[in-house]
Amino acid sequence: MNVASRLADTSRNETPRQSAKPAFLGFGLGLRHQHYDEILSGSPPIDWFEIISENYMVPGGQPLQTLEKIRARYPLVMHGVSLSIASTAPPNFEYLQGLKDLAHRVEPKWVSDHLCWTGVHGKNLHDLLPIPYTAEALDHVVSRVQLVQDFLGRAIVLENVSTYVRFKNSEMTEWEFLTELSRRSGCWLLFDVNNVYVSAFNHGYDPLTFLNGIPSDRVVQFHMAGHSHMGTHIIDTHDHPVCEDVWDLYAAALQRFGRVSTMIERDDNIPPLDELIVEVNRTRAMAEQVLGVAAR
Amino acid sequence: MSDLARQQADFQRGILAGDDAVLAEIPDSPKEKRETLFGVYRYAYGSRLVEALRNDHELLHAYLGDEMFDEMGHAYVKARPSEHPNLRWFSQGLPEFLRANAPYSGYPVLGDLAALEKALNDAFDGTDGTVVTLPDVAAFAPEIWKDLVFAPHPTAARLDLSTNAPAIWRALKADETPPDAEEQVEPVRILVWRQENTPMFRELPAEEAMMWDEAARGVPFGVLCSMLATYDDPDTAAGRGASYLHGWITGGLLTGVAA
Repeated sequence: MNVASRLADTSRNETPRQSAKPAFLGFGLGLRHQHYDEILSGSPPIDWFEIISENYMVPGGQPLQTLEKIRARYPLVMHGVSLSIASTAPPNFEYLQGLKDLAHRVEPKWVSDHLCWTGVHGKNLHDLLPIPYTAEALDHVVSRVQLVQDFLGRAIVLENVSTYVRFKNSEMTEWEFLTELSRRSGCWLLFDVNNVYVSAFNHGYDPLTFLNGIPSDRVVQFHMAGHSHMGTHIIDTHDHPVCEDVWDLYAAALQRFGRVSTMIERDDNIPPLDELIVEVNRTRAMAEQVLGVAAR
Repeated sequence: MSDLARQQADFQRGILAGDDAVLAEIPDSPKEKRETLFGVYRYAYGSRLVEALRNDHELLHAYLGDEMFDEMGHAYVKARPSEHPNLRWFSQGLPEFLRANAPYSGYPVLGDLAALEKALNDAFDGTDGTVVTLPDVAAFAPEIWKDLVFAPHPTAARLDLSTNAPAIWRALKADETPPDAEEQVEPVRILVWRQENTPMFRELPAEEAMMWDEAARGVPFGVLCSMLATYDDPDTAAGRGASYLHGWITGGLLTGVAA
């Protein structure tokens, strides 16, 4: 049952930022400093890179200089971890200005972050913390997304996070929440295939139910990553290769969402670039296998 | 307070203070107890921040070893919860924490090592500047050199340390056994900056440190030389001043010179 559809429609006073859907970028990789030299000394067959925004929200020096060089060769996307869009703390306009300044400098194809919060009461826990899927939370996040989009002057992209707990007071599913959020705020969605798999296992639902609950026209990016299986639950560590179950879910995501910019995201145990290129190539090959020439 | 705000406050208290009130709002999963599942967040919080400290203080970590560093790191995490959205700045208070809190305050070398690493980290991604070259300075007529004032590179920072932390830093950097920590009678005067993309530091003689500090305050070259004359042989003060200035310029330490 789509509980969200039974909620009071508060969207009449909302004017979603209508922006053109970002163009398909191909098959990319999360940019990590360990690969700077290889990227700049060769021309690795990667269509685009995603940067962690906060890594470049610094005054100057080598990080920003290297980014300029890579930007001259590859399309970039900005992906943040500190927007804290669902936090009930007041918006951090200093952070938002830093994000806006970086976007002005980098000219990314889009700016993304996560549907989560990272702290309240002046503290930052530097984690992607879960929210209850309630009408109250939805109203709150919609208004925050609109504020951020107005401040940045662009529609943002939000990613589903891996979660380890649910809340008893949730009134809808995560996919219903994301659907309503995107519809009401105009934000686009980053569908993290691994995170769907992790959360589905942790909470005991079918990841295909999540997948099929997301509108097919709102997803502009896929993340593919690895995780650590603890037996009774899975932790989203991003420090392993993508597992076969997640590849299978990727195939299903391709069938539902069609051609979507896809990237491999590794945050720890960073292997040599060649190893990650093998995974990038597999995302490309699988897309071509599932979608044929439409994948190009 | 809204339900969402209260729930987030409870959740955060559950992580930071070990308060279990939030567990009443969380069901068990099909395969695991809520305590274990919420524990993922509790564990991740401390380990992520200690990992950030390890990344920022690689040599202090090498000096202390895993166990002592992590114990220190968790103490810092507890005492100084992060208040900045960017993890880059979390470790900024570590030198001060180590100098002010037992048992670490009993080992001044720890605060000094942390201060040196912090300064190098800050130089690494500090503000860019266009450095002054020798021809830039030579373009000024000799008769107005006494009026020249200098702008330090935005990344330049001076530290006064009380121990042989620089020698320990160098040994650790070279993967060698560090010397025993020793407190010094005289302050160890350090200048940290970024030359092109490389963070650097060097120890300054007392005289050069004085000249640098005064130059950074905008004192003109002529006055700097007069001050040098009070430190050592007055007849060679101008020559010594010119020599220090030459080193600063070739080291990329200045971004401005004006009469």
